[in-house]
Amino acid sequence: MRALTIMLGLVLLPGHALAQFGNPAGWAPDSRTDAPGKPAPNQTNYQDRLFAQLVTAGGLAEVELGRLAAGKSTNDEVKAFADRMVGDHTDANAKLKAIADKSRMPLPDRLDPDHEKMRADLEKLDGARFDLEYMKAQVIDHQKTVQLLVWEIGLGQDAEVQQFAKETLPKVLEHLEMARQIQAQLADDARVRPAGTK
Amino acid sequence: MPRLIWYGLPCALGAAALTLAHAGDPLPPDTTYRPLPALPFSAVRANDEAARPGVMQRQRALLEQRYDLADRPAAVMMSGGRKAVQEGVRVKLPEGETWDGLAAMSPQEIRDRDLLPDGFKPLPHTKQAAGGQVFPEEQITEIGRDEARDLRRFDVDFDLPAHLTPEFPPPIFLTTHPELGDVSRGDLLTIRNFYEYMNGIVTPVQMEGLRLLLTPFPQEEFNQTEDRKVAQPSLGVACLDCHSNFHTNAAFHLTPDIRPQAERFRLDTTSLRGLFNQQIHGSKRSLRSVEDFTEFEQRTAYFNGDHVSATRKGVHLPDRPNQVAMMAQMQNIIDFPPAPKLDVFGRLDPAQASEQELMGEQVFMGKGRCAECHVPALSFMDNAMHDLKLERFYKIGETTNDFVAMPDGPIKTFTLRGIKDSPPYMHDGRLMTLADTVEFFNLVLGTRLTGEEKEALVAYLLTL
Repeated sequence: MRALTIMLGLVLLPGHALAQFGNPAGWAPDSRTDAPGKPAPNQTNYQDRLFAQLVTAGGLAEVELGRLAAGKSTNDEVKAFADRMVGDHTDANAKLKAIADKSRMPLPDRLDPDHEKMRADLEKLDGARFDLEYMKAQVIDHQKTVQLLVWEIGLGQDAEVQQFAKETLPKVLEHLEMARQIQAQLADDARVRPAGTK
Repeated sequence: MPRLIWYGLPCALGAAALTLAHAGDPLPPDTTYRPLPALPFSAVRANDEAARPGVMQRQRALLEQRYDLADRPAAVMMSGGRKAVQEGVRVKLPEGETWDGLAAMSPQEIRDRDLLPDGFKPLPHTKQAAGGQVFPEEQITEIGRDEARDLRRFDVDFDLPAHLTPEFPPPIFLTTHPELGDVSRGDLLTIRNFYEYMNGIVTPVQMEGLRLLLTPFPQEEFNQTEDRKVAQPSLGVACLDCHSNFHTNAAFHLTPDIRPQAERFRLDTTSLRGLFNQQIHGSKRSLRSVEDFTEFEQRTAYFNGDHVSATRKGVHLPDRPNQVAMMAQMQNIIDFPPAPKLDVFGRLDPAQASEQELMGEQVFMGKGRCAECHVPALSFMDNAMHDLKLERFYKIGETTNDFVAMPDGPIKTFTLRGIKDSPPYMHDGRLMTLADTVEFFNLVLGTRLTGEEKEALVAYLLTL
């Protein structure tokens, strides 16, 4: 019965999977509409475009830094986390790229200055210090990404971009939870070990 | 000294510049601040009006999937005798599950198998992206008739059926005149009638406080700018447009305390009855006095906690020693409805209560663990905030109707005095009946109540 109700709801709603009702006050001024009150697909407002830029930059950094950590870290948990970042964010980047192509949004293809600097800083570190700094940066980056995804869900216009944000959010929350746990563990380890030992 | 400043300043600036160069970019400004509209008002209105049927249909589908919305009145009336209390559990169970079956599972199992009834999850606003105040039809009609002021939005309508909201207009009981009973005359207090109805009953400062509480001031969706959701430029809204007759008409809003927009949870208007005994105010703000609450609502209920937007639209900042104090004086004389079966300590009088009600009180005080926060002698509050950690039972980050469900965090303990008059329940109105609240807390607190105990608890709650 429950399934039937959901099905009925979906059938009644046009474009069910993308049934967003954003605030038209935030639509781009030149928006075309399919039907009154419903913007035609793949039209972006400034939030969609900025979101795509920032999330792609973040995603590229996840992959680059993940590769760095997977190669450099000697901690199994950090390595596993780094591998997962490379895998998950490569997938997410490809998904967003496909949508961005449809919506004609050019995306960055290299690291932004913030993450360039982060990589350079991390390259100088080794051992437990590297792990701790990498995981600390991962926690902050995932915190920011969660807020960005929620921002897009609320203020974006392009339903496909919003749908991407909606599907990605639970995974990023999972990454954040993992990162927080590993960081807490590393911080505990650092406290019980004398400085300078591994 | 001047030389020291000249040497010192560049050093300080140099250090600051070095730090700034290391800082990353902040998130975009409208993750926190309200964006300005990008389209002319006429275009926004046309699009909003065209989208409204779809918006309402989507919300109706959500409500029907979560709840049994049928009109099933109990034999008990609300305190003014104008509407019956609704009975029965209305939250729908997942296919094939039972309440006892769920109560026997661990939170982890319920979460992993996605078995938490959707009606227990946070309830989305009808239109999350726009948010803001949405008034029930009765309030819109009455204010339109009496004040010729328009409270109707062109983008959304109220979403709950009238039989699941408080009686309208609610009765008014005064701490200063228990002998008079309900002084509302069965009417809604408005800026037109308040003086006639209240002269001779309240003091001059209470009267002035009442006038201010009934005076409309600009609000985020009801104002004179292009960033509004009402057809004509509006004088705004009054405090008592939501807190009808100092109670609630179930008008809803989004919490002012959270950003980004999609994460802001729904707020069901709280009653102002018994405010005199309440030490903290606001579901998440923990404001420490009625005066703070009264003053700061102009920043929050009116403008979503965005003082920048408020300044543009014309904010009303009541003068603290005079206006705020008088508004507080008036609110502080609003009493709970009479509860004839309770003694002076808030305990049932065995001579008046039924056996089932007495059993309910026992459950409330003991196995049900209700009284650990809802303390009878403290008007069934504890003047604290608590975190039920409902996210133990479901996966966070799920988006429903553009609303992202995140953990609620600590929320103020609400009073249970007069609780039968205040549906829907919880800070966001996610539960329709008292029977729903019993099932909710039985699961969340893991109290494993029997069917008989649950029924007794509901019977007891009706006596409060």
